Amino acid sequence: MAIQLQQVSYTYADRSMWKQTALHGINLEIAEGSLTGIAGATGSGKSTLLQLFNGILKPTEGTVQVLDVTITAGEKSPRLLPLRRRVGLVFQFPEQQMFEDTVEKDLCFGPLNFGVSLEEAKARARKSMTDMGLDLALLERNPFRLSGGQMRKAAIASVLAMDPDIVVLDEPTATLDPVSRAELIALLERLCREQGRTIIIVTHRMDELLPYADNWVLLKDGELAFQGSGGELAADPAILERCGLRVPQSLRYWQAAAERFGLSGEKPLLTAEGLAGRLAALLEERRTLNASGTEEMGNGHE
Amino acid sequence: MNQAYNDRTAGEKPAVIALEGVSFGYDPEHPILHDINVSIPQGQWVSIVGPNGCGKSTLVKLLNALLPKSAGHISVCGHTLQEETVQSIRQCIGMVFQNPDNQFIGQTVEEDILFGLEGQCLSYEEMKERLEFYTGKLGIGHLLSKHPGELSGGQKQRVAIASILAMKPGIVIFDEASSMLDEGSRDELMGILRDMQAAGSYTILLITHDADEILASDRVLALHGGSIAADVSPAELFRDAELLEKCHLREPYTWQLARELESRGITVDVPASEKELIDTLWQYNYSK
Repeated sequence: MAIQLQQVSYTYADRSMWKQTALHGINLEIAEGSLTGIAGATGSGKSTLLQLFNGILKPTEGTVQVLDVTITAGEKSPRLLPLRRRVGLVFQFPEQQMFEDTVEKDLCFGPLNFGVSLEEAKARARKSMTDMGLDLALLERNPFRLSGGQMRKAAIASVLAMDPDIVVLDEPTATLDPVSRAELIALLERLCREQGRTIIIVTHRMDELLPYADNWVLLKDGELAFQGSGGELAADPAILERCGLRVPQSLRYWQAAAERFGLSGEKPLLTAEGLAGRLAALLEERRTLNASGTEEMGNGHE
Repeated sequence: MNQAYNDRTAGEKPAVIALEGVSFGYDPEHPILHDINVSIPQGQWVSIVGPNGCGKSTLVKLLNALLPKSAGHISVCGHTLQEETVQSIRQCIGMVFQNPDNQFIGQTVEEDILFGLEGQCLSYEEMKERLEFYTGKLGIGHLLSKHPGELSGGQKQRVAIASILAMKPGIVIFDEASSMLDEGSRDELMGILRDMQAAGSYTILLITHDADEILASDRVLALHGGSIAADVSPAELFRDAELLEKCHLREPYTWQLARELESRGITVDVPASEKELIDTLWQYNYSK
């Protein structure tokens, strides 16, 4: 397991008048090398959960195990530096994690901090810029002179430059244009499938992740409401509504098609292309069946 | 309203925003916007679209002088943009930014929303009424006593939206202000905007990548490489594969589905619901 949570609760401002429990008794397992989507209504605890994954927040109750590091509530926590290198976290607002005066320095900061040579750090910076589809000319630019979308990509690049085993992203596609969004999801899927990295994505756009995610985690009011595969989710989309979420269009269309055409046992097709292909094949099948049927019966109709 | 900015081609309503030959660049060698000419009539709902880094946020920031234009002529609500009119122009524009953290000032959500209203010298009753109405509409009534730091990303976005809408600005500008809301909340927000537009007194500018949001608008301005690449209706945009590609946009899922089916020899209208599509296909007859 890459990440394992046992009975984890987290309370903000514990021991103060303003204490607020964001997570209650979460049990969660995320397998190494898997791609996991996390969804839930606003304020359900998604961002809090992510921050437990690299020790930015420590559990108020329970045990968080990430790779070979175990953090138990109430106990002295182990050295977190190795964990931080291996778990890269991309925040909701990228400008909150950029601080240098050029994009290149920002991208090199992480690797340099973890003991990589300057040359190697610069090479990694260029590679992760290219991976994110950013023009290398932007390396010289002040990060705060980038557009919102470019800054987000640069922030993701700065995390990839650290070569993390686990990449955790909080709504990484929020301000990206749809083409960049699809490219980012494709890149993350490659990092997962080809390089065996564990990818965890919080998203409000389940549609764009549904075709790729191995697993889904749904949160409701700080509690775990569902953990399972996309297929299991497709079989019972009502769980989404119970979590205060809308059932994504791709899932609604698949469900309607599956019910009418009797496809319920099949692996859900959650792209327009996939569903259209399957539907066209079904109609074609029916047509040939009808055509041969008509010939035999000898009473064709227009 | 200054009739001098009427745009006859845009209909009978006077232009509330007019840009002529407007340019902007952080450094002169790399202009971010170049020679923008556009006129937006009062009451229109306009989507501003285009790939990341094409100058969308820059364009709207020029309107109320958050950034200084380097050339051209801008007029908003009948005022020509210059140093003396910035104040009046800012009073008629309400802008919600990408990152709500950039616009919080109050210690609590309530204070934050009231801040703008106090600035307008409204009566206590009026402020209370608007506070209740807009926090209710956006589902944040239970958060009034919270510090903005205690809120989640999506909750912050709702507070930022409520505080701007409560001021009832004549022009509402959202810079991807719904990017962190879930689908249901986004639909609700579109509903609020639609009601506001129907009331007739609001002009709405939405910077967005979201196909459903674009579909809700009257007009699409597509920016590309610092210029206006197209000025079209949403339907025209979604029918134009080349333009979509250029703007890094995707059509709505339902349009995609209809197009994919058509390419396989099955002609259907863009479905309004999954039931409609499946019913049509169930009865579909090739010989038709």
